[in-house]
Amino acid sequence: MLKVKDLYFSYHQQPPYVFEGLNLTIHRGDYISIVGENGCGKSTLLRLILGFLTPTQGSITMETKNIRYVSQKNDFSHSGFPITVREILNSYRKLLHIKDPNEVNRVLELTHMTFAADKLIGQLSGGQAQRISIARSLIGEPDLIILDEPSTGVDAKSQESMYALLKQLNTDIGITILSVEHNLDAALTNSTKIFHLSHGNGHLCTPEQYAHEILHHTGKECSCHV
Amino acid sequence: MFNYEFMQNAFFVAICISLLCPCIGIFMVLRRSSMIGDTMSHASLAGITLGLLLNTNPIMGAFIFTAICGALIEFLRKYFSHHLDLILTIILSLSIGTAITLISSGKLKANANIFFFGSILTVNTADMISIFLLTVLSIITLYVLYNQLLYIAYDEEAARVAGVKVDIINYVFAILMAAAVSISIKIVGVLVLSAMIALPVASALQLERGFKQTLLYSMGFSLLSMVIGLTGSYYLNVAPGGFVSLTSVGILLVVLVAKQMQHKLRQHTPNLHH
Repeated sequence: MLKVKDLYFSYHQQPPYVFEGLNLTIHRGDYISIVGENGCGKSTLLRLILGFLTPTQGSITMETKNIRYVSQKNDFSHSGFPITVREILNSYRKLLHIKDPNEVNRVLELTHMTFAADKLIGQLSGGQAQRISIARSLIGEPDLIILDEPSTGVDAKSQESMYALLKQLNTDIGITILSVEHNLDAALTNSTKIFHLSHGNGHLCTPEQYAHEILHHTGKECSCHV
Repeated sequence: MFNYEFMQNAFFVAICISLLCPCIGIFMVLRRSSMIGDTMSHASLAGITLGLLLNTNPIMGAFIFTAICGALIEFLRKYFSHHLDLILTIILSLSIGTAITLISSGKLKANANIFFFGSILTVNTADMISIFLLTVLSIITLYVLYNQLLYIAYDEEAARVAGVKVDIINYVFAILMAAAVSISIKIVGVLVLSAMIALPVASALQLERGFKQTLLYSMGFSLLSMVIGLTGSYYLNVAPGGFVSLTSVGILLVVLVAKQMQHKLRQHTPNLHH
């Protein structure tokens, strides 16, 4: 579905590079979490895939254009913006040229947020606002949802239900998910694969393999259930 | 008051301003760039002086020069991405420099001073036609680009992923800002024009409604400011720009006080369900 091949990237178009010959292949139905140290380029990789940045060298090819993005700055960050949940979703539906107005109700039901349809975004909690971001990303039945640290600003209990929702969207509806994660437990529990970014490159492994890598490097066993 | 043709003209222009300025202002305020309105209004002064120098319609002169300045602001954002204040200073220097040089040269074929404070006496038929055309074209463009502009203000990255050509729409929006400024200068004046762009929106935001309702309330507050401001300036024989601006501030204060009182009343009302 998505192939990153021999990717080199530098913000100044010259060394030092953020990525040096990075490769990544994503198949339909994958749930891939991108993990790595702060500043290793996780969000930069997403921005390259989304086309916000241009590779210095190498290529990024995609089978689909039906992609959605849930940014780190979730809808809770817009708490002062005078807009209702229905306006957020309906306006996005129109941007995507989807004619059926019931699409808004469908994504609200999928994310169990129908009760909030006519509330202002500023009246919702961090967890509810993140669900609205996910609801928006479901408009038009996307093939791939890209998320940048979806648990930012979300309390522990809401994180649990949010990841359960993402997992359900992946397994039940078959939506491919690519998510930058700082929440290791969530990455290991929910993902089908982990992409570990380090020193300008990365490698793909199973959650079990990554849990062993953590054990090998830190000597501490992960508390999550892989 | 309405027996005078100049007052009929003034109120016609006031309705155009009340329709267009809040439509532009709401996006400017929500994108945290309402000070662009101030720079654009000063840029319009250079356009007016150029129009007067070339003996053409000063409103169209203002529109063209302000649109160029708006496009220049968007262009410079690429080079000074984190320094909008610096860009505005550059444009302000260019505009005011042009205006002062031309006014002091003594080569203008008319008096530019009325554009500083606004005047209800000087709106002629040519102005009304220009203002009407700019308003209609701008409202149509805003209607067509409504969802794109809303999402660029709300979540620019989500808009880009949905295929919105953000850069092109930002240039179109710069032209719309120029139109809003140009239609307002004759009555409101250059010095307080940003009040008509930002203050009605500031009042409407206090009501905590959805986007469409906030926009409609902004238009309502704008119309109220213009009607009270123009009527007051007619009876008090003062420049309309100043009085319209004071009325806008007054409306904002009333809304803030009313909101505070409503909040206190709610706190003191016993909850009957418990």
